[in-house]
Amino acid sequence: MDTSSPTVFVNGELLKLYMGRRVRTVVQVTRNEGGAVVGQSTDNQQLTVKGPNQSVPVMHFMEVIGVADGPQSIRAEICTDFGSNFDTASYNGLCKLANGQFKNLFL
Amino acid sequence: MYANHYDGGASHFHGGGFMPSQATQTPDQAGSSKTRSSTTSTTVPLTIKQITEAFHLNDERADFLIDGVEPSLVKLLGRVLNKAERVTDVSFLLDDGTGSIEVTRWVSDSFDTDEMTKIENGMYVVLIGKLKAFQGKRHIGAHAVRPVQDFNQITLHFMECIHAHLDNSRKATAVPATTSAMNDMRAYQTLNVGTGASGDIREVVLSVFQEPASLARENGLHVNEIIRRLGLQEQKIREAIEYHVEVGNIYSTIDDDHYKSACNG
Repeated sequence: MDTSSPTVFVNGELLKLYMGRRVRTVVQVTRNEGGAVVGQSTDNQQLTVKGPNQSVPVMHFMEVIGVADGPQSIRAEICTDFGSNFDTASYNGLCKLANGQFKNLFL
Repeated sequence: MYANHYDGGASHFHGGGFMPSQATQTPDQAGSSKTRSSTTSTTVPLTIKQITEAFHLNDERADFLIDGVEPSLVKLLGRVLNKAERVTDVSFLLDDGTGSIEVTRWVSDSFDTDEMTKIENGMYVVLIGKLKAFQGKRHIGAHAVRPVQDFNQITLHFMECIHAHLDNSRKATAVPATTSAMNDMRAYQTLNVGTGASGDIREVVLSVFQEPASLARENGLHVNEIIRRLGLQEQKIREAIEYHVEVGNIYSTIDDDHYKSACNG
């Protein structure tokens, strides 16, 4: 895994600001169709995740680390099953803070 | 009382005028001392980016300054990569999305080895350890490494980093409160000059000389400084200064342009 570039915390809204860059986000898996996973972001937008590691069950939360290749799509490098108990509101708040006032701590 | 008790007992140092501490008493500068006690141990949650940008104080002691605090211990959370197990230690790279740093965990007993066998590449872990630098490169000596089980801990850790950053930054900016209050006083005084009557000018000029900052200066103030501060005509200010010299309120120091208040404010 290439660890040289930092990964930005994004939600659905912020994803479009980081096109072509490495991002990380958490989505709740809504359906799994072949090569892609469709999930709901922490700010209730629908995101498509392409790539390997499609073993996360539906309704579980999945962390995606990859490259943003569309306003609502990520080409995943790593997917992690975050289980079924995840606080989306807090994560959403963190995304906003990490990209706003406290960006210097993260990027 | 003076000459008879030289046996060095602490109680005999009181009275008699032989108190060495008196000579070394320095006035405590209000608000300028930050508490940097080495006895209290601080654990600070950090992002790796904060560590790579931390100000390195002293090469020998490996002290770092982050938001005005020297952390004794740091708390980090990230993914484990490149885990390498050796006889006396286990090392890995920790990547938390903001950067990556080398971590070493020394294993001296079975508790340590058991803890580290559970850690695998790609896993999220929380670690507490000491920040060190060696030949310019920073790394962590971990005291404890634990796998993350509830992934809300990731959100929590980064929120804690933000919280600690805000807390420490606020303390750092609260320190110069006294100096900013003094600056406010000056601003107030410069605004006060409005009437132009000679009596008022004399009062205002005298009050400038009697400010603590002016009293602290060995050679007092230059006339031009007063002019600049108050924004009044040089002639009027020199008249006021002459008046005060005659009356005895101020005196000239190194030359005819430097004056200092004769009172102690």
